[in-house]
Amino acid sequence: MKAFEYFEVECEDAVGAESYRRIAGDILGDLDLIKVIGRLHIFIDPKVPLFLAVGLTRKLPRRVRLRDFANVLEKGDGVLIDISDETHLSRLLHILWERFGRDLVEQPDRWTIQIRGGAVDPSDIEDLIVFDPTESLAKDIIYAFQYIAPEGFKVRRQLVKEGRFYYVASENTLEEGEVDRLLAENFAKIGVNE
Amino acid sequence: MTLVPITYKGGVYRHDEIVDLIDDLGGYVIQKHQLAQEVVLQSLVPKEDIDYLRTVARPLAGEVIEAPLVGTEIAVISPSLEIHHLPHASCDVAEYLRRVGAKTNVIGLARGFGKRIANLNLEERDVINEHDCAVYLLGNFEECIREKLPALRRGVTVPIVVAGAPSTERLKEIIQPPVEGYVGDLGRVAHRMRKEEELEPLDRVVDEVSSVLSAYREEIAQDPLSISPARLMVVIDEKMRISAESTHPTPITVQIAGLRVKVDYETYADDLRALEIEDGVTVGDVAEVLPSRMRNYIWLKIRPFSETNVMV
Repeated sequence: MKAFEYFEVECEDAVGAESYRRIAGDILGDLDLIKVIGRLHIFIDPKVPLFLAVGLTRKLPRRVRLRDFANVLEKGDGVLIDISDETHLSRLLHILWERFGRDLVEQPDRWTIQIRGGAVDPSDIEDLIVFDPTESLAKDIIYAFQYIAPEGFKVRRQLVKEGRFYYVASENTLEEGEVDRLLAENFAKIGVNE
Repeated sequence: MTLVPITYKGGVYRHDEIVDLIDDLGGYVIQKHQLAQEVVLQSLVPKEDIDYLRTVARPLAGEVIEAPLVGTEIAVISPSLEIHHLPHASCDVAEYLRRVGAKTNVIGLARGFGKRIANLNLEERDVINEHDCAVYLLGNFEECIREKLPALRRGVTVPIVVAGAPSTERLKEIIQPPVEGYVGDLGRVAHRMRKEEELEPLDRVVDEVSSVLSAYREEIAQDPLSISPARLMVVIDEKMRISAESTHPTPITVQIAGLRVKVDYETYADDLRALEIEDGVTVGDVAEVLPSRMRNYIWLKIRPFSETNVMV
């Protein structure tokens, strides 16, 4: 697992900062997000109270297409898919069921899927996108920070977009301008200046 | 006769001899767990007979360990039951206290999280007050502990032990008015505590709770209870056949100065009050039989000798 390029927790309370450093590391590790997040700066002010995280996402692993883990062969009036890696099998089956219907898609054994009917073009199926890691990324990052941030901080502002993300939470109402100022200040610490 | 809390661990084979022996010596088996081939007995045994018990247990490969918290019921209080606080550290602490014989109940507060917004409702307060000791597991920031603890302890009359990430000294400084026990370096964590340096704070929780409870026991010894809770448990269990007909792990939970009897209050309270212990003394004479705030159970509060003038 590749570690962060940059990871800091900034807080006046040194004990709290160290604890949150460990919590963030554990949770991002558990949720398998360490390889996704490149730079991360967390700023906590227990007086306000405020929890703020800013970061950059890394280049994500590419999309997984059917041809990456299976061979598609023409057989009789249909197509035979010969699978070499089961990781994305269940996702693939759901996609095929939706596209061709359950009655035409059969899985006679663990490594084979058969699609009956002449309307199937093998080259078309080969390019099928089975898994797109960007799809659930925003959801996963926001969930991770909800979990990392102290509970009860229900006033939130969050964004995951174009390789950047932020998550600001508090139990008190925050002033818009103040949040913008803090975000700009903390983004500067990870090398993003606008 | 001083009864000492111990845990007996041994095989199933001939363990009934140990149970009989504890009974013959005048001790009490408070809880019996049987897991496959292993039996664990949480018991109270006369101090002078512990060595004899060890001698008898040796050929059976049984082990007699001192377990300071046998016969106590402890509330482990987590700010909520969300993923932020469970299973670590709440369950780790509860499990650790159980290993030394305590019966622990994890209480997840409805709104115990946050700094300004933390509070304790009446039901939670009453449930906590039915325990021998309350262990509050708080978070990582001094500022938050200082501000939220007064709200979380409002109306709690049992001894309190507070755990948090700041050091024990800092906890003592920031908590006003003082509580009975402090455990530093144990705040919110998101992983299981299994390394040696992580287990050390858990050991301190056990030490702190033990010393808080021994102070409480000494206080009670000034004005002794009319009946020992363990004896009252045995009497009630024999006459009302509670454990024989219950599926609870501890159908009757022993506390330092009371019992929690896990049967319906409405149905059984009157029978329980009228139950004779010996020579015409009834349970109602020596204890208050109260409805527990925990489900529909019965909570017995044993009265001191000074109130009843009876000692059974």
